[in-house]
Amino acid sequence: MDNLYQAIFKGLAPLAKTAVQESLDNGKTPQDIIDESMIPAMEAIGQEFEAGRVFVPNLLLSARAMKSALDILKPLMIAGQTTTLGTVVIGTVKGDLHDIGKNLVASMLEGRGFKVINLGTDVSKERFIEAAKENNADIICLSALLTTTMDYMKEVVEAVRADGLDIKVMVGGAPLNAEFAASIGADGYSSNANEAVQVAKKLLS
Amino acid sequence: MVERAFQISPEELPEKEVWFAMGYKDSVPEERIRGMVRELICELVPKATLRYIYQVVEAEKLSPRQVRMAGKTFTPEGIICSYLQGMTHALLFIGSAGWEFDRAKEALKAKDDIVADFIADSIGSVLAEMTVARIEQDYVGKETISMPYSPGYCNWDIREQHILFSLFPERPCGIILSESSLMTPEKSVSGFFALGETLQRQPYHCQICKNTKCFKRRNA
Repeated sequence: MDNLYQAIFKGLAPLAKTAVQESLDNGKTPQDIIDESMIPAMEAIGQEFEAGRVFVPNLLLSARAMKSALDILKPLMIAGQTTTLGTVVIGTVKGDLHDIGKNLVASMLEGRGFKVINLGTDVSKERFIEAAKENNADIICLSALLTTTMDYMKEVVEAVRADGLDIKVMVGGAPLNAEFAASIGADGYSSNANEAVQVAKKLLS
Repeated sequence: MVERAFQISPEELPEKEVWFAMGYKDSVPEERIRGMVRELICELVPKATLRYIYQVVEAEKLSPRQVRMAGKTFTPEGIICSYLQGMTHALLFIGSAGWEFDRAKEALKAKDDIVADFIADSIGSVLAEMTVARIEQDYVGKETISMPYSPGYCNWDIREQHILFSLFPERPCGIILSESSLMTPEKSVSGFFALGETLQRQPYHCQICKNTKCFKRRNA
């Protein structure tokens, strides 16, 4: 495995910056660097998390290293010549201000090749739909940490369907479960950030 | 009604509790992460002023699901009510890591460092819990005191937080309670301790609760 892969897997942001520059100097394209080193490293740390060998902070460190490397690559990417797995609009639903879990999911999705539009917290159904349309999104991701706000997810799902949008809706958050997700008509549910990536990939496959 | 504000030194904040809040349970984080935790404790804790308010009121168990406290009916449901046999009074409390901590955490967020955000969030959770521990130390009574119970836990509807807040002055400890029962500052806690001479203090609820699917289970 190359230096960039190692730096991201181990969550070493300064090393990731150096390594991505080395890869560019060696003539690799941004897309090759992302596909061959960065995404595989994020997938590997995700698998370690699923196996219980690393913890949430390790995922976050890797996501932070990935972001620092992406910040170097983004200005070099030519619109239309880079590929993403899809576009995700993500936010914490109206009435709820919790954002740690949602931001982790956003980082993991970005780290694994999705374009992510993070709307923040206290997001209305109108804002979700507006952002989805503006960005031609494939998936809307909804987060909630309160039992009082998770019911708003149903309103968002219904609004998306009523608008006739061909967009998948994923939900997550501590008080939710798969049964709740199914009951509100969501297309997917995940209990953690790594699983969210797998669910998103599956929804678009 | 008792209301207090206090500060703690970074050394008084148990790092292991922060690790636990970060999801480590019984594991020890690697040195790099322990160092980040220590650094953020030293940065954030001196800025925090913790606050709490409490009062002791008459209370009784009405049914296997309901209690009356200070003349108001609450429905903490079966899990909590099963621990309240012998309750004659209740210590109603609200505590918070405070606006100062909230502002320090927000300032940190501006640096766009997701790792620091996560650790700071965990530190805030521990600080809020410390106010509950301080209330328990503070209270001097001859009755047995139960574990603390909070709306939102053990099937107790979080919306009953509004009834609890109605028994305190407006914006207790500076906390704003939203329509969706969200407390701001986010790192705030509310609930009650049951009091009673014949009350049996139970172990921490998750240790004896049979609801293994509970999303707030701490020893799962």
